[in-house]
Amino acid sequence: MTDWTRRQIGGLAGGALLAVAAPHIVRGQGRAKVVVIGGGIGGATVARYLGDMKSIDVILIEPNSTHVTCFFSNLYLAGLRSLASLTFGLETLAEGHGITIIRDRAVAIDPAGRAVELRGGTRLSYDRLVVAPGIAFKFGEIEGYDEAAAKIMPHAWIAGPQSELLRRQLESMDDGGVFVIAAPPNPFRCPPAPYERASLAAYYFKQFKPKSKILILDAKDKFSGQELFQDAWSRHYPGMIEWLPSQFTGAIKAVDVAARSVVTEGETFRAAVANIIPAQKAGLIGEKAGLTDASGWCPVDPVTFESTLQPGIHVVGDSIIGGDMPKSAFSANSQAKACAFAIAASLTGSPQFPPHLFNSCYTFLAPDDAFTNALTFAPEGGRIKTVKMFISKVGESAEVRRRTAHHAVGWYSAFTADVFGGGS
Amino acid sequence: MKRERAAAVLSRAKGLAAEIRWFLGISLSATLLFPESAAPADVSQGAQIAATCASCHDQTGGGQAIPPIAALDEQAIVKAMLAFRASESPSLVMHAVALSLSDDEVAATARFLADRANAGRQP
Repeated sequence: MTDWTRRQIGGLAGGALLAVAAPHIVRGQGRAKVVVIGGGIGGATVARYLGDMKSIDVILIEPNSTHVTCFFSNLYLAGLRSLASLTFGLETLAEGHGITIIRDRAVAIDPAGRAVELRGGTRLSYDRLVVAPGIAFKFGEIEGYDEAAAKIMPHAWIAGPQSELLRRQLESMDDGGVFVIAAPPNPFRCPPAPYERASLAAYYFKQFKPKSKILILDAKDKFSGQELFQDAWSRHYPGMIEWLPSQFTGAIKAVDVAARSVVTEGETFRAAVANIIPAQKAGLIGEKAGLTDASGWCPVDPVTFESTLQPGIHVVGDSIIGGDMPKSAFSANSQAKACAFAIAASLTGSPQFPPHLFNSCYTFLAPDDAFTNALTFAPEGGRIKTVKMFISKVGESAEVRRRTAHHAVGWYSAFTADVFGGGS
Repeated sequence: MKRERAAAVLSRAKGLAAEIRWFLGISLSATLLFPESAAPADVSQGAQIAATCASCHDQTGGGQAIPPIAALDEQAIVKAMLAFRASESPSLVMHAVALSLSDDEVAATARFLADRANAGRQP
Protein backbone atom coordinates (compact mmCIF):
# COMPACT_ATOMS: atom_id res chain seq x y z
CA MET A 1 0.00 0.00 0.00
CA THR A 2 1.27 3.39 -0.90
CA ASP A 3 2.27 5.44 2.09
CA TRP A 4 1.53 9.06 1.25
CA THR A 5 3.67 11.35 3.32
CA ARG A 6 2.84 14.94 4.04
CA ARG A 7 5.72 15.95 1.84
CA GLN A 8 4.37 13.98 -1.11
CA ILE A 9 0.85 15.32 -0.65
CA GLY A 10 2.28 18.76 -0.21
CA GLY A 11 4.26 18.28 -3.35
CA LEU A 12 1.13 17.54 -5.31
CA ALA A 13 -0.70 20.47 -3.77
CA GLY A 14 2.28 22.69 -4.40
CA GLY A 15 2.46 21.49 -7.96
CA ALA A 16 -1.17 22.36 -8.45
CA LEU A 17 -0.62 25.80 -7.00
CA LEU A 18 2.46 26.30 -9.11
CA ALA A 19 0.53 25.25 -12.17
CA VAL A 20 -1.80 28.13 -11.52
CA ALA A 21 0.98 30.58 -10.74
CA ALA A 22 3.35 29.68 -13.54
CA PRO A 23 1.89 26.97 -15.75
CA HIS A 24 4.89 26.73 -18.01
CA ILE A 25 7.43 26.13 -15.30
CA VAL A 26 5.49 23.25 -13.79
CA ARG A 27 5.83 21.40 -17.06
CA GLY A 28 9.55 21.39 -16.37
CA GLN A 29 10.48 23.01 -19.63
CA GLY A 30 12.48 25.94 -18.33
CA ARG A 31 11.80 29.25 -20.03
CA ALA A 32 8.72 29.53 -22.14
CA LYS A 33 9.18 30.12 -25.85
CA VAL A 34 7.07 32.41 -28.00
CA VAL A 35 7.47 32.42 -31.76
CA VAL A 36 6.26 35.48 -33.65
CA ILE A 37 5.60 35.27 -37.38
CA GLY A 38 5.92 38.64 -39.10
CA GLY A 39 8.16 41.61 -38.34
CA GLY A 40 5.68 44.34 -39.28
CA ILE A 41 4.05 46.65 -36.77
CA GLY A 42 2.01 44.06 -34.86
CA GLY A 43 4.66 41.34 -34.84
CA ALA A 44 7.56 43.62 -33.96
CA THR A 45 5.59 45.20 -31.10
CA VAL A 46 4.61 41.84 -29.58
CA ALA A 47 8.21 40.66 -29.86
CA ARG A 48 9.61 43.83 -28.33
CA TYR A 49 7.25 43.85 -25.34
CA LEU A 50 7.67 40.13 -24.65
CA GLY A 51 11.44 40.48 -25.04
CA ASP A 52 11.55 43.34 -22.56
CA MET A 53 9.93 41.11 -19.96
CA LYS A 54 13.18 39.07 -19.96
CA SER A 55 11.44 35.93 -18.74
CA ILE A 56 10.35 34.47 -22.08
CA ASP A 57 12.43 33.39 -25.08
CA VAL A 58 11.18 35.26 -28.13
CA ILE A 59 11.90 34.25 -31.72
CA LEU A 60 10.80 36.53 -34.54
CA ILE A 61 10.46 35.04 -38.03
CA GLU A 62 10.74 37.60 -40.81
CA PRO A 63 12.10 37.09 -44.33
CA ASN A 64 12.97 40.76 -44.89
CA SER A 65 15.82 42.53 -43.12
CA THR A 66 13.93 45.83 -43.04
CA HIS A 67 10.36 47.06 -42.79
CA VAL A 68 9.03 50.02 -44.74
CA THR A 69 6.07 51.65 -43.01
CA CYS A 70 2.87 52.01 -45.02
CA PHE A 71 1.90 54.95 -42.83
CA PHE A 72 3.65 58.09 -44.11
CA SER A 73 4.34 56.39 -47.47
CA ASN A 74 1.90 58.79 -49.14
CA LEU A 75 4.32 61.56 -48.12
CA TYR A 76 7.00 59.66 -50.03
CA LEU A 77 4.75 59.43 -53.10
CA ALA A 78 4.36 63.21 -53.01
CA GLY A 79 8.12 63.73 -52.73
CA LEU A 80 7.88 64.96 -49.14
CA ARG A 81 9.89 62.17 -47.47
CA SER A 82 12.52 59.70 -48.58
CA LEU A 83 11.78 55.99 -48.52
CA ALA A 84 14.90 55.57 -46.36
CA SER A 85 13.26 57.69 -43.65
CA LEU A 86 10.38 55.17 -43.59
CA THR A 87 12.64 52.10 -43.43
CA PHE A 88 13.53 50.32 -40.20
CA GLY A 89 15.89 47.43 -39.51
CA LEU A 90 15.08 44.74 -36.98
CA GLU A 91 18.56 44.71 -35.47
CA THR A 92 17.63 46.91 -32.50
CA LEU A 93 15.02 44.36 -31.50
CA ALA A 94 17.74 41.71 -31.45
CA GLU A 95 20.46 43.78 -29.81
CA GLY A 96 18.45 45.84 -27.35
CA HIS A 97 15.48 43.64 -26.54
CA GLY A 98 16.85 40.10 -26.46
CA ILE A 99 14.88 38.78 -29.42
CA THR A 100 16.22 36.06 -31.71
CA ILE A 101 15.49 37.00 -35.30
CA ILE A 102 15.38 34.33 -37.99
CA ARG A 103 15.48 35.61 -41.57
CA ASP A 104 13.17 33.09 -43.16
CA ARG A 105 9.55 32.65 -44.13
CA ALA A 106 7.08 30.55 -42.18
CA VAL A 107 5.47 28.16 -44.64
CA ALA A 108 3.37 25.95 -42.38
CA ILE A 109 2.02 25.80 -38.85
CA ASP A 110 1.31 22.60 -36.95
CA PRO A 111 -1.13 23.71 -34.21
CA ALA A 112 -1.40 20.21 -32.70
CA GLY A 113 2.36 19.77 -32.56
CA ARG A 114 2.89 23.42 -31.58
CA ALA A 115 5.53 23.95 -34.23
CA VAL A 116 6.26 26.24 -37.17
CA GLU A 117 7.95 25.06 -40.32
CA LEU A 118 10.23 27.49 -42.15
CA ARG A 119 11.01 27.58 -45.86
CA GLY A 120 14.63 26.79 -45.06
CA GLY A 121 13.52 23.49 -43.51
CA THR A 122 13.81 24.42 -39.84
CA ARG A 123 11.02 23.29 -37.55
CA LEU A 124 10.53 25.50 -34.50
CA SER A 125 8.52 24.46 -31.49
CA TYR A 126 6.64 27.00 -29.44
CA ASP A 127 4.60 27.39 -26.27
CA ARG A 128 2.65 30.26 -27.79
CA LEU A 129 2.63 31.43 -31.37
CA VAL A 130 1.81 34.95 -32.54
CA VAL A 131 0.88 35.38 -36.18
CA ALA A 132 1.00 38.90 -37.61
CA PRO A 133 0.89 38.37 -41.37
CA GLY A 134 -0.67 41.68 -42.40
CA ILE A 135 -2.76 41.68 -45.55
CA ALA A 136 -2.93 39.79 -48.80
CA PHE A 137 -4.83 40.80 -51.92
CA LYS A 138 -7.87 39.19 -53.46
CA PHE A 139 -6.36 39.09 -56.92
CA GLY A 140 -8.95 38.07 -59.45
CA GLU A 141 -11.85 40.11 -58.08
CA ILE A 142 -10.96 42.74 -60.68
CA GLU A 143 -10.62 40.96 -63.99
CA GLY A 144 -7.14 41.28 -65.42
CA TYR A 145 -5.56 42.45 -62.16
CA ASP A 146 -3.03 39.99 -60.76
CA GLU A 147 0.53 40.10 -59.43
CA ALA A 148 1.92 40.63 -62.94
CA ALA A 149 -0.52 43.49 -63.58
CA ALA A 150 0.53 45.08 -60.28
CA LYS A 151 3.98 45.60 -61.80
CA ILE A 152 2.40 47.96 -64.32
CA MET A 153 -0.54 49.27 -62.34
CA PRO A 154 0.88 49.25 -58.81
CA HIS A 155 -1.24 48.85 -55.69
CA ALA A 156 1.45 50.42 -53.50
CA TRP A 157 -0.52 49.12 -50.52
CA ILE A 158 2.45 47.26 -49.07
CA ALA A 159 5.18 49.86 -48.86
CA GLY A 160 8.54 49.27 -50.53
CA PRO A 161 9.18 48.45 -54.20
CA GLN A 162 5.51 49.04 -55.07
CA SER A 163 5.73 52.55 -53.59
CA GLU A 164 8.89 53.23 -55.58
CA LEU A 165 7.19 52.06 -58.78
CA LEU A 166 4.20 54.34 -58.25
CA ARG A 167 6.46 57.28 -57.38
CA ARG A 168 8.45 56.79 -60.58
CA GLN A 169 5.26 56.65 -62.63
CA LEU A 170 3.93 59.87 -61.07
CA GLU A 171 7.26 61.59 -61.68
CA SER A 172 7.35 60.57 -65.33
CA MET A 173 3.68 61.33 -66.00
CA ASP A 174 3.05 64.18 -68.43
CA ASP A 175 1.36 67.31 -67.15
CA GLY A 176 -2.33 67.03 -67.94
CA GLY A 177 -2.50 63.28 -67.34
CA VAL A 178 -5.15 61.52 -65.28
CA PHE A 179 -4.05 59.62 -62.19
CA VAL A 180 -6.68 56.99 -61.40
CA ILE A 181 -6.90 55.58 -57.90
CA ALA A 182 -9.11 52.51 -57.48
CA ALA A 183 -10.21 52.54 -53.83
CA PRO A 184 -11.05 49.12 -52.34
CA PRO A 185 -14.17 47.79 -50.61
CA ASN A 186 -14.28 47.53 -46.81
CA PRO A 187 -12.56 46.23 -44.78
CA PHE A 188 -9.09 47.22 -45.86
CA ARG A 189 -5.79 48.47 -44.46
CA CYS A 190 -5.84 52.12 -43.34
CA PRO A 191 -9.32 53.42 -44.28
CA PRO A 192 -8.39 57.10 -44.92
CA ALA A 193 -5.24 56.30 -46.90
CA PRO A 194 -6.59 56.19 -50.50
CA TYR A 195 -7.98 59.69 -49.97
CA GLU A 196 -4.81 60.92 -48.25
CA ARG A 197 -2.96 59.57 -51.29
CA ALA A 198 -5.22 61.58 -53.60
CA SER A 199 -4.66 64.71 -51.48
CA LEU A 200 -0.88 64.45 -51.46
CA ALA A 201 -0.68 63.48 -55.13
CA ALA A 202 -2.72 66.63 -55.82
CA TYR A 203 -0.23 68.63 -53.75
CA TYR A 204 2.58 67.24 -55.91
CA PHE A 205 0.71 67.88 -59.17
CA LYS A 206 -0.20 71.41 -58.11
CA GLN A 207 3.49 72.25 -57.96
CA PHE A 208 4.86 70.30 -60.91
CA LYS A 209 1.99 69.20 -63.19
CA PRO A 210 -0.83 71.62 -62.50
CA LYS A 211 -3.02 70.55 -65.44
CA SER A 212 -3.19 66.97 -64.15
CA LYS A 213 -6.27 65.44 -62.57
CA ILE A 214 -6.97 62.73 -60.04
CA LEU A 215 -9.91 60.39 -60.42
CA ILE A 216 -10.91 58.16 -57.52
CA LEU A 217 -13.03 55.20 -58.61
CA ASP A 218 -14.42 53.88 -55.37
CA ALA A 219 -15.84 50.47 -54.56
CA LYS A 220 -17.82 52.23 -51.80
CA ASP A 221 -20.41 54.99 -51.57
CA LYS A 222 -18.83 56.76 -48.61
CA PHE A 223 -15.44 56.78 -46.95
CA SER A 224 -13.57 57.52 -43.76
CA GLY A 225 -13.13 61.24 -43.01
CA GLN A 226 -15.15 62.15 -46.12
CA GLU A 227 -16.23 65.62 -45.01
CA LEU A 228 -12.71 66.55 -43.96
CA PHE A 229 -11.24 65.38 -47.25
CA GLN A 230 -13.83 67.01 -49.47
CA ASP A 231 -13.46 70.28 -47.57
CA ALA A 232 -9.67 70.14 -48.02
CA TRP A 233 -9.92 69.25 -51.71
CA SER A 234 -12.06 72.32 -52.37
CA ARG A 235 -9.71 74.54 -50.36
CA HIS A 236 -6.33 73.27 -51.58
CA TYR A 237 -6.97 71.60 -54.92
CA PRO A 238 -10.13 73.00 -56.51
CA GLY A 239 -11.15 71.05 -59.61
CA MET A 240 -8.25 68.61 -59.38
CA ILE A 241 -9.78 65.63 -57.56
CA GLU A 242 -12.94 63.85 -58.65
CA TRP A 243 -14.43 61.10 -56.50
CA LEU A 244 -16.88 58.66 -58.10
CA PRO A 245 -18.71 56.38 -55.68
CA SER A 246 -19.73 52.86 -56.55
CA GLN A 247 -23.37 53.87 -57.07
CA PHE A 248 -22.32 56.09 -60.00
CA THR A 249 -19.96 53.69 -61.72
CA GLY A 250 -21.07 50.24 -60.66
CA ALA A 251 -17.54 49.82 -59.29
CA ILE A 252 -14.46 48.53 -61.09
CA LYS A 253 -14.95 45.32 -63.01
CA ALA A 254 -11.71 44.97 -64.96
CA VAL A 255 -8.44 46.55 -65.93
CA ASP A 256 -6.69 46.50 -69.30
CA VAL A 257 -3.02 46.76 -68.49
CA ALA A 258 -1.88 47.18 -72.09
CA ALA A 259 -4.33 50.01 -72.72
CA ARG A 260 -3.83 51.49 -69.24
CA SER A 261 -7.57 51.59 -68.77
CA VAL A 262 -9.93 50.84 -65.92
CA VAL A 263 -13.34 49.43 -66.74
CA THR A 264 -16.41 50.02 -64.58
CA GLU A 265 -19.90 48.68 -65.20
CA GLY A 266 -20.85 51.61 -67.38
CA GLU A 267 -17.65 53.27 -68.55
CA THR A 268 -13.98 52.83 -69.39
CA PHE A 269 -11.48 55.31 -67.98
CA ARG A 270 -8.06 55.87 -69.52
CA ALA A 271 -5.30 56.48 -67.00
CA ALA A 272 -1.87 58.01 -67.41
CA VAL A 273 -1.06 56.31 -64.12
CA ALA A 274 -3.33 53.75 -62.48
CA ASN A 275 -3.11 52.82 -58.82
CA ILE A 276 -5.27 49.76 -58.27
CA ILE A 277 -5.85 48.97 -54.60
CA PRO A 278 -7.53 45.54 -54.59
CA ALA A 279 -9.91 44.02 -52.05
CA GLN A 280 -7.99 42.50 -49.17
CA LYS A 281 -7.85 39.52 -46.83
CA ALA A 282 -5.56 38.22 -44.08
CA GLY A 283 -1.94 37.43 -44.97
CA LEU A 284 -1.57 34.02 -46.56
CA ILE A 285 -0.08 32.10 -43.63
CA GLY A 286 -3.25 32.94 -41.69
CA GLU A 287 -5.38 31.21 -44.32
CA LYS A 288 -2.99 28.28 -44.62
CA ALA A 289 -2.96 27.68 -40.87
CA GLY A 290 -6.74 27.63 -40.55
CA LEU A 291 -6.84 30.95 -38.72
CA THR A 292 -9.30 32.62 -41.14
CA ASP A 293 -13.07 32.31 -41.29
CA ALA A 294 -15.39 32.77 -44.26
CA SER A 295 -14.65 36.51 -44.26
CA GLY A 296 -11.02 35.82 -45.13
CA TRP A 297 -9.86 37.42 -41.86
CA CYS A 298 -8.81 35.95 -38.50
CA PRO A 299 -11.34 35.97 -35.65
CA VAL A 300 -9.77 36.44 -32.20
CA ASP A 301 -10.61 36.73 -28.53
CA PRO A 302 -10.74 40.50 -27.89
CA VAL A 303 -8.90 40.26 -24.55
CA THR A 304 -6.00 37.94 -25.37
CA PHE A 305 -6.02 38.06 -29.19
CA GLU A 306 -5.90 34.28 -29.19
CA SER A 307 -7.45 32.80 -32.30
CA THR A 308 -10.99 31.53 -31.76
CA LEU A 309 -10.24 28.84 -34.34
CA GLN A 310 -6.80 27.61 -33.25
CA PRO A 311 -6.01 27.60 -29.50
CA GLY A 312 -2.46 28.58 -28.56
CA ILE A 313 -2.09 30.84 -31.58
CA HIS A 314 -2.58 34.60 -31.24
CA VAL A 315 -3.19 36.96 -34.14
CA VAL A 316 -2.69 40.73 -34.12
CA GLY A 317 -2.78 43.55 -36.62
CA ASP A 318 -4.46 44.04 -39.97
CA SER A 319 -5.32 40.37 -40.41
CA ILE A 320 -7.84 40.18 -37.56
CA ILE A 321 -11.57 40.72 -37.73
CA GLY A 322 -14.30 40.79 -35.15
CA GLY A 323 -14.78 44.28 -33.98
CA ASP A 324 -14.64 47.99 -34.55
CA MET A 325 -10.87 48.53 -34.57
CA PRO A 326 -9.73 49.79 -37.98
CA LYS A 327 -6.84 48.12 -39.73
CA SER A 328 -4.13 50.59 -38.83
CA ALA A 329 -0.59 50.57 -37.50
CA PHE A 330 -1.75 52.15 -34.25
CA SER A 331 -4.41 49.48 -33.79
CA ALA A 332 -1.84 46.75 -34.46
CA ASN A 333 0.54 48.25 -31.90
CA SER A 334 -2.22 48.54 -29.31
CA GLN A 335 -3.44 44.98 -29.89
CA ALA A 336 0.13 43.68 -29.76
CA LYS A 337 0.73 45.14 -26.29
CA ALA A 338 -2.50 43.64 -24.95
CA CYS A 339 -1.54 40.34 -26.55
CA ALA A 340 1.99 40.40 -25.08
CA PHE A 341 0.72 40.97 -21.54
CA ALA A 342 -1.92 38.25 -21.99
CA ILE A 343 0.70 35.76 -23.19
CA ALA A 344 2.98 36.66 -20.29
CA ALA A 345 0.10 36.10 -17.87
CA SER A 346 -0.58 32.73 -19.42
CA LEU A 347 3.04 31.55 -19.48
CA THR A 348 4.57 33.09 -16.38
CA GLY A 349 1.61 33.82 -14.14
CA SER A 350 2.12 37.58 -14.29
CA PRO A 351 -0.97 39.68 -13.51
CA GLN A 352 -3.43 40.43 -16.27
CA PHE A 353 -5.64 43.49 -16.40
CA PRO A 354 -8.44 44.44 -18.77
CA PRO A 355 -6.82 45.72 -21.97
CA HIS A 356 -7.01 49.35 -22.99
CA LEU A 357 -7.23 49.44 -26.77
CA PHE A 358 -6.69 52.61 -28.74
CA ASN A 359 -6.41 53.90 -32.26
CA SER A 360 -5.22 57.29 -33.38
CA CYS A 361 -4.38 58.24 -36.95
CA TYR A 362 -2.84 61.35 -38.40
CA THR A 363 -3.89 62.05 -41.97
CA PHE A 364 -2.26 64.62 -44.23
CA LEU A 365 -4.35 66.81 -46.52
CA ALA A 366 -1.31 68.94 -47.40
CA PRO A 367 2.13 69.15 -45.78
CA ASP A 368 0.91 71.71 -43.23
CA ASP A 369 -2.71 70.58 -42.98
CA ALA A 370 -3.44 67.33 -41.16
CA PHE A 371 -6.33 65.94 -39.20
CA THR A 372 -6.45 63.36 -36.48
CA ASN A 373 -8.84 60.99 -34.81
CA ALA A 374 -8.76 59.20 -31.50
CA LEU A 375 -10.77 56.14 -30.59
CA THR A 376 -10.96 53.96 -27.53
CA PHE A 377 -12.20 50.37 -27.55
CA ALA A 378 -13.15 47.70 -25.05
CA PRO A 379 -13.98 44.01 -25.32
CA GLU A 380 -17.73 43.38 -25.16
CA GLY A 381 -19.60 40.21 -25.93
CA GLY A 382 -16.60 38.60 -27.59
CA ARG A 383 -16.01 41.54 -29.91
CA ILE A 384 -14.05 44.78 -29.83
CA LYS A 385 -16.45 47.68 -29.43
CA THR A 386 -15.83 51.39 -29.86
CA VAL A 387 -16.24 53.25 -26.59
CA LYS A 388 -15.38 56.84 -27.60
CA MET A 389 -14.51 58.46 -30.88
CA PHE A 390 -13.19 61.95 -31.54
CA ILE A 391 -12.16 63.42 -34.86
CA SER A 392 -10.90 66.79 -36.12
CA LYS A 393 -13.61 69.09 -37.44
CA VAL A 394 -14.19 70.90 -40.70
CA GLY A 395 -13.51 74.59 -40.15
CA GLU A 396 -10.62 74.23 -37.71
CA SER A 397 -8.08 77.04 -37.95
CA ALA A 398 -5.00 76.73 -40.13
CA GLU A 399 -2.94 76.94 -36.96
CA VAL A 400 -4.69 73.90 -35.44
CA ARG A 401 -4.10 71.93 -38.65
CA ARG A 402 -0.44 73.01 -38.79
CA ARG A 403 0.01 71.88 -35.20
CA THR A 404 -1.62 68.53 -36.00
CA ALA A 405 0.77 68.05 -38.94
CA HIS A 406 3.66 68.88 -36.61
CA HIS A 407 2.35 66.38 -34.03
CA ALA A 408 2.10 63.75 -36.75
CA VAL A 409 5.82 63.99 -37.44
CA GLY A 410 6.63 63.73 -33.72
CA TRP A 411 4.25 60.81 -33.36
CA TYR A 412 5.91 58.95 -36.26
CA SER A 413 9.29 59.21 -34.61
CA ALA A 414 8.12 58.02 -31.17
CA PHE A 415 5.85 55.31 -32.58
CA THR A 416 8.47 53.68 -34.77
CA ALA A 417 10.93 53.73 -31.85
CA ASP A 418 8.28 51.99 -29.74
CA VAL A 419 7.74 49.31 -32.38
CA PHE A 420 11.25 48.63 -33.63
CA GLY A 421 13.12 49.23 -30.40
CA GLY A 422 14.38 52.33 -28.77
CA GLY A 423 13.84 53.87 -25.38
CA SER A 424 13.30 51.51 -22.48
CA MET B 1 -3.69 52.40 -3.34
CA LYS B 2 -2.49 50.58 -6.41
CA ARG B 3 1.15 50.42 -5.36
CA GLU B 4 0.20 48.83 -2.07
CA ARG B 5 -2.09 46.50 -3.96
CA ALA B 6 0.65 45.60 -6.40
CA ALA B 7 3.07 45.11 -3.52
CA ALA B 8 0.49 42.93 -1.79
CA VAL B 9 0.05 40.85 -4.95
CA LEU B 10 3.82 40.45 -5.27
CA SER B 11 4.10 39.66 -1.60
CA ARG B 12 1.34 37.06 -1.86
CA ALA B 13 2.99 35.61 -4.92
CA LYS B 14 6.36 35.45 -3.17
CA GLY B 15 4.64 33.87 -0.19
CA LEU B 16 3.13 31.32 -2.52
CA ALA B 17 6.54 30.56 -3.95
CA ALA B 18 7.93 30.05 -0.47
CA GLU B 19 5.06 27.74 0.44
CA ILE B 20 5.54 25.71 -2.69
CA ARG B 21 9.25 25.43 -1.94
CA TRP B 22 8.41 24.12 1.50
CA PHE B 23 5.80 21.76 0.10
CA LEU B 24 8.10 20.34 -2.47
CA GLY B 25 10.94 20.10 0.00
CA ILE B 26 13.41 21.00 -2.67
CA SER B 27 15.46 24.06 -3.23
CA LEU B 28 13.14 25.66 -5.70
CA SER B 29 14.76 29.00 -5.96
CA ALA B 30 12.53 32.00 -5.74
CA THR B 31 14.47 33.35 -8.64
CA LEU B 32 13.02 30.63 -10.84
CA LEU B 33 9.55 31.94 -10.30
CA PHE B 34 10.34 35.58 -9.72
CA PRO B 35 13.89 36.02 -10.91
CA GLU B 36 15.44 39.27 -9.78
CA SER B 37 17.69 40.00 -12.72
CA ALA B 38 15.61 38.26 -15.34
CA ALA B 39 12.22 39.25 -13.96
CA PRO B 40 9.79 41.14 -16.08
CA ALA B 41 10.91 44.72 -15.58
CA ASP B 42 7.39 45.48 -14.40
CA VAL B 43 4.07 44.04 -15.45
CA SER B 44 1.98 45.97 -12.94
CA GLN B 45 -1.22 47.62 -14.06
CA GLY B 46 0.62 50.95 -14.23
CA ALA B 47 3.28 49.45 -16.47
CA GLN B 48 0.71 47.85 -18.77
CA ILE B 49 -1.20 51.10 -19.21
CA ALA B 50 2.01 53.11 -19.55
CA ALA B 51 2.95 50.88 -22.50
CA THR B 52 0.14 52.71 -24.28
CA CYS B 53 1.82 56.07 -23.64
CA ALA B 54 4.88 54.84 -25.55
CA SER B 55 2.84 54.68 -28.77
CA CYS B 56 3.15 58.48 -28.99
CA HIS B 57 5.54 59.74 -26.31
CA ASP B 58 9.24 59.16 -26.82
CA GLN B 59 10.36 56.94 -23.96
CA THR B 60 13.81 58.44 -23.77
CA GLY B 61 12.34 61.80 -22.85
CA GLY B 62 13.17 63.38 -26.17
CA GLY B 63 10.95 63.52 -29.19
CA GLN B 64 9.55 66.28 -31.29
CA ALA B 65 6.20 68.02 -31.03
CA ILE B 66 4.57 65.55 -28.65
CA PRO B 67 5.57 66.56 -25.11
CA PRO B 68 7.91 64.17 -23.29
CA ILE B 69 6.47 62.58 -20.17
CA ALA B 70 9.47 60.55 -19.05
CA ALA B 71 10.63 63.08 -16.46
CA LEU B 72 7.29 64.26 -15.05
CA ASP B 73 6.47 63.70 -11.41
CA GLU B 74 3.44 61.76 -10.28
CA GLN B 75 1.26 64.71 -9.34
CA ALA B 76 2.00 66.55 -12.59
CA ILE B 77 0.88 63.51 -14.59
CA VAL B 78 -2.33 63.08 -12.58
CA LYS B 79 -3.13 66.78 -12.85
CA ALA B 80 -2.53 66.79 -16.61
CA MET B 81 -4.65 63.67 -17.13
CA LEU B 82 -7.56 65.17 -15.21
CA ALA B 83 -7.31 68.33 -17.32
CA PHE B 84 -7.23 66.26 -20.54
CA ARG B 85 -10.27 64.35 -19.34
CA ALA B 86 -12.19 67.58 -18.88
CA SER B 87 -11.57 69.04 -22.32
CA GLU B 88 -10.99 68.06 -25.97
CA SER B 89 -8.52 70.91 -26.20
CA PRO B 90 -5.55 70.84 -26.59
CA SER B 91 -5.45 67.16 -27.59
CA LEU B 92 -8.19 64.90 -28.94
CA VAL B 93 -5.95 61.91 -28.41
CA MET B 94 -5.22 62.67 -24.77
CA HIS B 95 -8.88 63.50 -24.16
CA ALA B 96 -9.85 60.04 -25.43
CA VAL B 97 -7.10 58.32 -23.43
CA ALA B 98 -7.92 60.20 -20.21
CA LEU B 99 -11.63 59.39 -20.54
CA SER B 100 -10.85 55.70 -20.89
CA LEU B 101 -8.92 55.48 -17.61
CA SER B 102 -10.41 55.35 -14.12
CA ASP B 103 -8.95 57.49 -11.34
CA ASP B 104 -7.19 54.42 -9.97
CA GLU B 105 -5.72 53.61 -13.38
CA VAL B 106 -4.49 57.18 -13.84
CA ALA B 107 -2.86 57.02 -10.40
CA ALA B 108 -1.23 53.66 -11.10
CA THR B 109 0.13 54.85 -14.44
CA ALA B 110 1.43 58.12 -13.01
CA ARG B 111 3.11 56.27 -10.18
CA PHE B 112 4.76 53.83 -12.56
CA LEU B 113 6.05 56.59 -14.84
CA ALA B 114 7.33 58.66 -11.92
CA ASP B 115 9.00 55.64 -10.30
CA ARG B 116 10.68 54.77 -13.59
CA ALA B 117 11.89 58.34 -13.97
CA ASN B 118 13.26 58.32 -10.42
CA ALA B 119 14.98 54.99 -10.98
CA GLY B 120 16.58 56.43 -14.11
CA ARG B 121 17.95 59.34 -12.09
CA GLN B 122 19.68 57.07 -9.56
CA PRO B 123 23.47 57.18 -9.92
